[in-house]
This record gives sequence, C-alpha cells and structure tokens, in this order.
Amino acid sequence: MAIKEYDVLIVGSGHSGGMAAKVLTQKGISCLMLNAGPEADYAQDRTAKAAHELPYRGFNQPGRLPHVLQANEANAEQWVDEKEVPYTHDPAKPYNWVRVRLLGGRSLFWARQSFRLSDFEFKAGDLEGTGENWPISLSDLDPYYSQVEAIFRVRGRKEGWPQFPDGNFVDGGMPRPTNESQTIKTFTELANQRNIGVSVMRFSEGVNGLASSINLLLPDALTTGKLDIVSNAIVREISVDKNTGRVNGAHFVDRHSRREMHVKAKVVVLAAGTLESTRLLLNSGLANSSGMLGHYLHDQIYGVSVVASVPEARDGKAPAGIMGGNVFMPRFRNLKREEKRDFTKGYCMLVSSGGSAQPYHFPLYGEELQKTLDRYAGSCVQGSIFGERPARYENHVSINKEVKDAWGIPVLHVDVKDGDNEHNMAKDAANTLEEIFTAGKWDIVSKTDKFYPPGYSIHEVGTARMGDDPKKSVLNRWNQTHDIKNLLVVDGACFVTCGWQNPTMTILAVSMRASEHLAEEIKKGNV
Amino acid sequence: MYSAMRRRRFMQALAAAPAAPLIAQQAATAPVAAQQGAPARAGRGGPGPGNGPAMLEVAAPDSVAEPVARFFTPPQYAALHRLSGLIQPPLNGNLGALDCGVPEFLDFLIGVSPADRQQLYRNGLDALNAQAKKQFAKSFADLDDAQAHTILQPMLVAVPWPTDPPKDALKAFLFAVREDVPLATRNSPEYAAAAAASGRRAGGGGLVWKPIDPVYRG
Repeated sequence: MAIKEYDVLIVGSGHSGGMAAKVLTQKGISCLMLNAGPEADYAQDRTAKAAHELPYRGFNQPGRLPHVLQANEANAEQWVDEKEVPYTHDPAKPYNWVRVRLLGGRSLFWARQSFRLSDFEFKAGDLEGTGENWPISLSDLDPYYSQVEAIFRVRGRKEGWPQFPDGNFVDGGMPRPTNESQTIKTFTELANQRNIGVSVMRFSEGVNGLASSINLLLPDALTTGKLDIVSNAIVREISVDKNTGRVNGAHFVDRHSRREMHVKAKVVVLAAGTLESTRLLLNSGLANSSGMLGHYLHDQIYGVSVVASVPEARDGKAPAGIMGGNVFMPRFRNLKREEKRDFTKGYCMLVSSGGSAQPYHFPLYGEELQKTLDRYAGSCVQGSIFGERPARYENHVSINKEVKDAWGIPVLHVDVKDGDNEHNMAKDAANTLEEIFTAGKWDIVSKTDKFYPPGYSIHEVGTARMGDDPKKSVLNRWNQTHDIKNLLVVDGACFVTCGWQNPTMTILAVSMRASEHLAEEIKKGNV
Repeated sequence: MYSAMRRRRFMQALAAAPAAPLIAQQAATAPVAAQQGAPARAGRGGPGPGNGPAMLEVAAPDSVAEPVARFFTPPQYAALHRLSGLIQPPLNGNLGALDCGVPEFLDFLIGVSPADRQQLYRNGLDALNAQAKKQFAKSFADLDDAQAHTILQPMLVAVPWPTDPPKDALKAFLFAVREDVPLATRNSPEYAAAAAASGRRAGGGGLVWKPIDPVYRG
C-alpha cells in the first residue's frame, strides 16, 4: 500500500499544535498530527463520586504523582504517569514537571488567564541591560494576539498601560464595576498611592467553560478534510534525509502494541510542549549547532501569600458591602531602567476579599481552633503573586541515557535551581502586600515569601529559544530551527523571557504567526 | 476500634440518606434500558453493545466489614486514637474523628505511604508516649485533656504555608496530624451519611477521571 506523504507533520495536540493544524489546513496544506496519549471522552471517562467513595478518601494515592502538586485523587488519571514517563533531577534541585498526554494536552486543564506579553518582556535585554531580547516585538504579534483573543473569547478591562497591553476583548472590554466592596476600594486606593495599578483578571471564556484545542481549534482543522490525527503515537525520533540534511518525517511507537512506525512529511512542526519538544530534538541529535538547545529553562514563582483579617468583618458581623470581590495588579516593579532594586523583572499580584483563615494559620486544635475559625470566617483578604524567573543558561535539560520510559526512549534530566533574584522578588512581594494590608488597618494572619519549586506553575518555557543570532539561539524569528529550515518548534520552548503572564496567549499567537509564515513558504517552495 | 454499634449507626444513616444520586440514577435506569433493548443474540461473546445485563448492586467494604489495624504498634495506635479525638472532637453538631473511624483509616493510609511519612508518624506517636511517661507516668492514651495539652502545646505552631511544614520533626508531626485528622473526618462515609441525614452537604469529591485507555504494561 502506498503510504501518504503529508505536507506537515505536527507533533502534539495542545494549544500550539492545534493552532498550527488550524492555520495550515485552512490554507489547504495536508497535516498529520501525532499525539502521545489517548483521546478522553468527557462523558464516559468521568464519574461523580463523593470523597468517601474513593480508595484513599481524597488523600491521593500515596507516592503517586509526587511531582504533581496539583493532582488529587479525583483527577489523578489526567496526568502523565511518572513511572511510565519518568524524568530525573538532583534531589537537592527539585523540579515539578506537570504533564498531560490526552488529546488536547494541557489545553484541557489550563486556568484560562489570558494575557499578552509586553515589550517589557520582548525587549527585556534593552530594559535590563543584560540578557537577550526576543527577535520580535509586541507590534509583530499584535495582529495574531487579536485573532487568538477572538477565538478564545477573552474578557478583560482595557487600561492603556504599556506593561499590560490591552487586547481584543469580548464586548470591547468590561467596565469598572460600580459595586466594589469597601475592602476592594480601600485596597485600590492604597495600591494606587504606591503607584500600583489595579485592574481585573483577564481570562478566556472559551465555549462551555472549555478553551482548549479540542473544541476551539482542531474541529476547524478537521472540517477542512486536510487533517489526520493519530493518538497513542509516541514519537521517538525525527528522521532526516541523508542526502539533503532536511527532516522527512518521524519514527513513532504505538503506545499499546509498541509497534514501530515511520511517517513521511515534507515539514515537521514540534508542538509537544516545551520539554517534550526539546527532548525529541535532543534524542534526534538535531538543531543544536549553537549548543543552546535545552538551556534557559525557566517559568514563574507561585506560592507567596499574605492573609489579613478585617476586624469589623469578624464573628459573622461584616456589614453588607464590606467584603467580597477580587482585583489584579499587573507588573509594577522595574518598569523604569533607573529603578534600583535587589531584583530584576517583576511580578503580578492577585487579591481577593471575603475568604476565611485556614486551620494551619493558628497554633490551636479541637474546639478552640473551631471557635477561632468561626470568628475569622469570611473576614479575610488574601494576596498572592506570579513572578518571573530569569532565563539562565545554567538552568537546562539534557538526555539521561541511563533511564528510559516505558517505550525505551531516554528521558530528560532537569538541572534547575533558583537564585537570589527569585527570593528577593518574593520578599518584596510579601512585604508589599503586608504593607498595604497593614495600612488598611487589617490584621495580618499569615505571611510567607516561600514559593514552589521550578515547574510548579506549569508555565515552563525556553530550551529552544528564538533569536536572530544562530550562535545564541535555536530558532529564528519564524520558529524555524536555524539548522534545518523545514523543522519548526511552535510551543513554549521558543520563549526568550516568560514574563509574569500566563504564556498561553503568546504560545497561541506565536504558533499562528509561525504557521502562517510556514504556509507561505510552502507555497513558494522555500521549505 | 470500629465498633459494631457505630457500624450499625452508619448503615442506618446510609439507609436514610439520598447518597450518591448520580450512581443511583444509573443503577435505576440500567434495567429499564436492558428490558427495552432489542433481544440480544446469544453469541459466545455475550450480549452486544446496549444489551448487557443490568448492573448489580454491590456493597462498599466499609458497610460490611471492620478495618484491621496493622501498621502502628498497639501503643502507637492508642496514642493516635487519643490524639485524633483531641484534634477533631464532635463540634457544631458534626461527628468527630472517633465517630468516623479516623484512627483506623490513618493506620491504613500511613501504612501505604512513603517511608518518610511513616517515620514522621511513628516517631511522633512514640514521642507523645515518651513525654507522657516522663511527665505523668502514663501512656498518652491515658492522659486527661489538660495533661495531653501540656504535652501538645510546645509542638503547636502556626504555619504560613502548608507546603512548607515546620523543620522540627515533632512540630511537623503535629502539623501533619492537624491536617490529616480533620480531612479524614470530613471525607469519611460516616460523616457524609450523618450530614446527608440532617440535610447538609458534606465532604469533598467531584468528577473522578477513570483510567483512560490505560497502557499495556506486559
């Protein structure tokens, strides 16, 4: 039987792969998508259960998914089994790699916070006097962001702040509410006095609560008749034509039978997620003439938290209109080059009003603890942050040939640690929240400047960064590898800096831009 | 230990409560579908899709059997039993930890947990007994509330962030118990049944993902 040669092979089915499939197929280009896991049936694969019906009563199966702090006993099956697909790290340098291999990948489960990067991130090298700029700027991505925001139905409030670029919001952007609670008004006033702009969260509405590739991108691609999807196909290696040096397809393993297969394609687009795409390139021995492949892995710090209690709201006596609501403060630190702090880059803050204290906040137990919790119920204001980790060369991944996954494919070794910048940023954030809460005459219940290990944010990026200099980067400004023009990476691996923002909108916009360019190049016969 | 009286009470409450409505709906509709479906052709593979037999009602193990404590030593288990009752007594009309079989459940849970968690609990319970012997010449299980508090108080600390437990092993132990005992109480079948019987929602849970096309491991 004659085997079809596809125009483009797309590895991965999440947001980046789904966008590539949609753009390319709608331009008449034939695509094959390989996804490492099965397809989930939301109706068949989930069932309602009470915690007491679960084998471990909601405590999680001990020892399962030790790196996935987001896992619980109900959702344990959605994450990659760490024994099936392990990775290694020095125990002193923990890394939490959180993965999903279901069709649609992590786009099935993301938090839907939807931000654009700004030129404070795209041109961070210029602002900070160190590190690299992206080879593209906000103006390059702006038209793609707008299209992505329309597809994902992004809601937000327009502010006109350069570090928080406005988007193509549903209904033109939400107005400032007129019924904000007193605590939110007080917080806003105190934050503004400190030159901290107060806005609201921006998020993708999606459709029926889902803003995934499986409902917003892949159906359009399938409608063209130009897309084939194969699930349970674990790509082992990208294949190369020895005569031309160009890639010509990929070897993959059937997840169940372990049967080895090969598929032919004129172009290969990697969209398997930052670290899986990089693992595949490293295992294939491709695209690393710069020696930069695997380096500059970074993400964001989560965990810093300050909780305060509003005295007049305790004991269930909060007058109407005092508590409730939440606000969002985009980056406000280091927006001017002359600003001198003991850290670079910045963080955003989230503050919510109307929550309760937690048992661990008090050195109590039994009845005394319960009385205290009852007193504080509904009286609390809580602040937390997402902060940018710098991209450092030494934070990198490599192949550990000694350890293989269930299909005999060598795994990744992750070597990442935080530096003073992250810890100083976290201290500044906790102190800032404490200062504002105290100024509001709210009693501090709890304060921590600790944060989760790298990877926890599930926003890992870098490792195949883009740039104009082939000696300093893996990809060019169109996401083609510098070494092989018909090999692209369109997921978070291409990031130069991650910012404080959820990266999803940027991943989607970059993938759309790269895919449109690729389609033109294919039609011109350039790849 | 799990008393027959408590088990009877649990079964009575379950009988009175509208438990697991979704599952009950499925069980109720399955026979109807089976009756209305086209007659199954009796092939060697059994009925075809949509013509399978009705799901049979099966019992939860907790409703028919007593758990057997097998991880902790008797002195450790006795201390855990006493500690559980102190941490989560019956409050605000809700069942307490001892009503909900929490010591039995934790004996199971810690027994299948990673070694560091097991050691945290074993060492902590041994330390409670050692302190009780030293200060009151009794085991921890035999202390009155005031005596127990004398031992527990130095181990109590506020924790700003639960992911960063205290470094001191005894403080970390008590922190873990203060997290585990209330959750095990709220997530127990006894607690859920009692809450349902009094018309309240209780416990966690939600949409549970089944294994999706699990990989062949042969």
